[in-house]
Amino acid sequence: MGFGRYVTARVLWAGVVSLVITTITFLLLSAAPNPDVQQAATQAALQGGNPAEATERVRELRGLDQPLYVRYFDFIRGVYTLDWGWSESRSQPVLEAVGSALYYTAQYSIPWTILTIILGPLVGVYSAANMYSWKDHAATGFAFFGYAIPNFFFGIILLLVFGVWLQFIPVTYNTDVAVFSVENAVQLTIPVFVLVTGSIGAVMRVSRNESAEFQNADFMKTAKAKGVSPLRAYAYHVMRPTLVPLSTTLVGQLLALFLGSSLLVEVVFAIPGLGRLTYKALIAQDTNLVLGTTLFFTFVAVVGNLLEDIVFTVLDPRISYDDR
Amino acid sequence: MIVSLKFFVYAFVAWCMSSRDMEDGDDPRHVNRRQWLSALGLAGAVTLAGCSGNGGGGGGGDGNDTDDGSDGGDATTQQDVYATASAASFTTLNPIYNTENGAGNAIARTLDQGYTFDENNEYVPLLYDMSTEDGEVWTFEVREGLEFSDPYGEVTASDFVYLIQEVHQSSWANSAATTSWQGVTVEETGEYEFEATLESPSLLWPESYDPLLYPIPQELLEPYVEEEDTEGLQEDEELLELQFAGNLGPYVLDEWQRDAGTRYSRNDDYYLQDVDELPDVFNDAPYFEEAEIRVIEEEASRLGALETGEVDSAAIPPEQVESYQNSEEIYVNRIPQPYNEKISVNMRDNGWNTGPGNMFRHTPFRQAMAAAIDKEGLIQGVFRDFAETHFTWQPRFSEFYPPEEEIPQFGVGENYGSEVARGLAEEAFAESEYDYGFDGDAMVNPDGDQIQLDIYHSAGQDTEQLMADFIAQELGENLGIDVTVEAIDGTRFNNEYWTTSDFPTPETNDEGEVTEVPDELVDTVNGEEVEWTAPTSTNPGPRNVTTSQDWDMSVVFGLNTYPRNPITNNAFFDGPTAFYNPVGYYPGFDAESLFEQAQAATSQEELADALVELFANLAEEQPYIMLAFPDSTVGYREGLEGPIENFSNGWNLPAWRYE
Repeated sequence: MGFGRYVTARVLWAGVVSLVITTITFLLLSAAPNPDVQQAATQAALQGGNPAEATERVRELRGLDQPLYVRYFDFIRGVYTLDWGWSESRSQPVLEAVGSALYYTAQYSIPWTILTIILGPLVGVYSAANMYSWKDHAATGFAFFGYAIPNFFFGIILLLVFGVWLQFIPVTYNTDVAVFSVENAVQLTIPVFVLVTGSIGAVMRVSRNESAEFQNADFMKTAKAKGVSPLRAYAYHVMRPTLVPLSTTLVGQLLALFLGSSLLVEVVFAIPGLGRLTYKALIAQDTNLVLGTTLFFTFVAVVGNLLEDIVFTVLDPRISYDDR
Repeated sequence: MIVSLKFFVYAFVAWCMSSRDMEDGDDPRHVNRRQWLSALGLAGAVTLAGCSGNGGGGGGGDGNDTDDGSDGGDATTQQDVYATASAASFTTLNPIYNTENGAGNAIARTLDQGYTFDENNEYVPLLYDMSTEDGEVWTFEVREGLEFSDPYGEVTASDFVYLIQEVHQSSWANSAATTSWQGVTVEETGEYEFEATLESPSLLWPESYDPLLYPIPQELLEPYVEEEDTEGLQEDEELLELQFAGNLGPYVLDEWQRDAGTRYSRNDDYYLQDVDELPDVFNDAPYFEEAEIRVIEEEASRLGALETGEVDSAAIPPEQVESYQNSEEIYVNRIPQPYNEKISVNMRDNGWNTGPGNMFRHTPFRQAMAAAIDKEGLIQGVFRDFAETHFTWQPRFSEFYPPEEEIPQFGVGENYGSEVARGLAEEAFAESEYDYGFDGDAMVNPDGDQIQLDIYHSAGQDTEQLMADFIAQELGENLGIDVTVEAIDGTRFNNEYWTTSDFPTPETNDEGEVTEVPDELVDTVNGEEVEWTAPTSTNPGPRNVTTSQDWDMSVVFGLNTYPRNPITNNAFFDGPTAFYNPVGYYPGFDAESLFEQAQAATSQEELADALVELFANLAEEQPYIMLAFPDSTVGYREGLEGPIENFSNGWNLPAWRYE
């Protein structure tokens, strides 16, 4: 199978996967009781109104009085025409909501991802090269600390120290500042630091163990015997094979962290990003928005896996498209 | 587990923040040795917190308060920007559909409503003045000189009349004010005047907030009204972005960034600047060039922002107020509220699950419970003294609060303690057909077993849990009742214990008139036969009609006591068939007549007479075991003038300023 056909097949499969995931999410949401309806009824009762009327009013407003299949087909049609509907909980189109949230999330997630991908394997290989020395222990300790401490807790502590006490950074995130500005870099330093320390641990440990395997391999011995510098030997002969198994865990781990970590960090630092958007959409049972964000994450996951498979073949030419 | 850990951590950090020494006024950018040492000390504290893990959870405040603050950015000063912090983002800023308090504050920066009430609870006309002679026909006089943005021109009576008739009273629009205008006949009587005729007189109509309107241009509404386009009306950008507001609010909305907040700039043409009847301070209002509402969901972050000056105000949980009281940068206001803390006792058949009958149905027993709980101890221990004792269904600041000597004050002074509580319980036992009594210290049922009751509180609400524990302890010590404290999710309690959708309904004819009431919906109350002709989920019928789960007592829900318009309380106490009566309370006095008397009153004196008598009776009967009115505690940056320790706090927000 050629590269083009392989990618095409994977993309088509991605379409099916996204449809299945979206359908399941839609069905689960439809089966759950709607808190807005409950709340409206309670509110009406407390205000001396009629809960039944209030319930009916909210159901009509939210379109919940329509049959399930009508709501489902409406949504599916919308998905493929890029009309992702109106977010009831934010009073704006879903695409606009996802777009604006992504704008803020990207500002910290891109540096976070790049730093994790670069620093994780580097620290891991460095640790393996100095195995059982104090440098290895220090790096391992750092990795475990970052992995063990909950991001929200670490975030609040750093905010307290650097925001409230030392006042180096603003306590609340300011959406006014330009993306590429010193102010933005300053206010994003702590969120990025918290996220990097949270995600670097696993990457570092895996790459340390993987590279330990290769540093005594025959090809390393040959390289050393030929007089290759340690930096070059580790970069070409250890780092590269280490990255092959690492790339399988990397994408999955980062995606898993993406939603959970970014939600808590966004809450602590008041960043209006994707994590908060998704979480609040779920809580408010804003069906259009939940499905929009689900679709977005599905898309990211599918593309991520696709990239991962392509990276495989680039890093290790022995892996081919055949037999897949 | 994770959630509780999270709350613990947040509470801990919030405590760390609040306990910071703030006595010096150093340059915030300069790091002195003390600050570094403090930072180092924190690392130790964090380790300890992780090891000991003995936190009791946190939260404290309700987290939903909207408070004030200012941006401490480099280019601006406090006088330039007036920012507020909101714990929650806004669903919509469309004035026709908004039902949220926080979004209401965001809209209010840009768009005034018809009227407000000042610190003396006096009516203050803003967009229009209301007057009546009999409480039935109300005249609205629209202020002249109110302007919408181009191209909509001046605000006139027809804009309001059109809004009421074509939107609020329509069957298609489902506006937030739909229920407020049902049954009201509205007629335009002049360019700046219209009349509203009520179905029955109501002297306190303005106090109910029902006649409160936003000004919306008729021309903007017309296309949607013609098409009956609900979706279009909800999603209209001019409404969502408040672009039509003209000179009708203190600020102009520049941007609404969902999840981040709103930004405004000063409205130089604000109409209140030229209004003579308001205090002079409004002549230059507003006093800030810009305004902002920042959405900061995390309480610790909000308090941090308050401390650093990024916001000027934030709600402060009661347990942290003390640490701010000596601050030179922040002052704390204590604002009385009408929302109560009480024990709901289940008088229906699925209540009192510890023996035959239901002792909660006997007034002396409810009085005994009220007398067994030390209200002042509760306020001191649980609310840190930031609450008022609650004896009847009104807070003390209500003008309809009965004279102290006319109401029994259970739970304080000589009306508190084991002796008085047991005496009242004995009275209840004598009324009961079952052989309840005391065996030594314990209250026992006819089988001689100790009375065992459960009390529910919302899971994760620490104040509620503390309160429930305190109640359990007091009822155990003073009445010998073994109380089990149970945590429950609020929504689950509401759906399975508090309300039900499964109840019998009367038969009706085509006109909707009731033709036959089933036997389950009939009960004898005070010797008279009463029919539940309109059962609801919150009062599904007589005491034999119950929710799906058994329960004895609950502190899950507090209720509003409506001090401005106490007639609204008829929803709770207007006889056994009252609209909202989950506990199955049957008044032992003629509550219906008193509400009718209040409704028909033609003078304030008649109204007060009826209401005072009503509240004296409710204090006697204790339909819910009334405990406390917790205050709202809010911290403001020093120098901010305007906030008052009054229920009307914020009525003059455009005139708030720094000294």
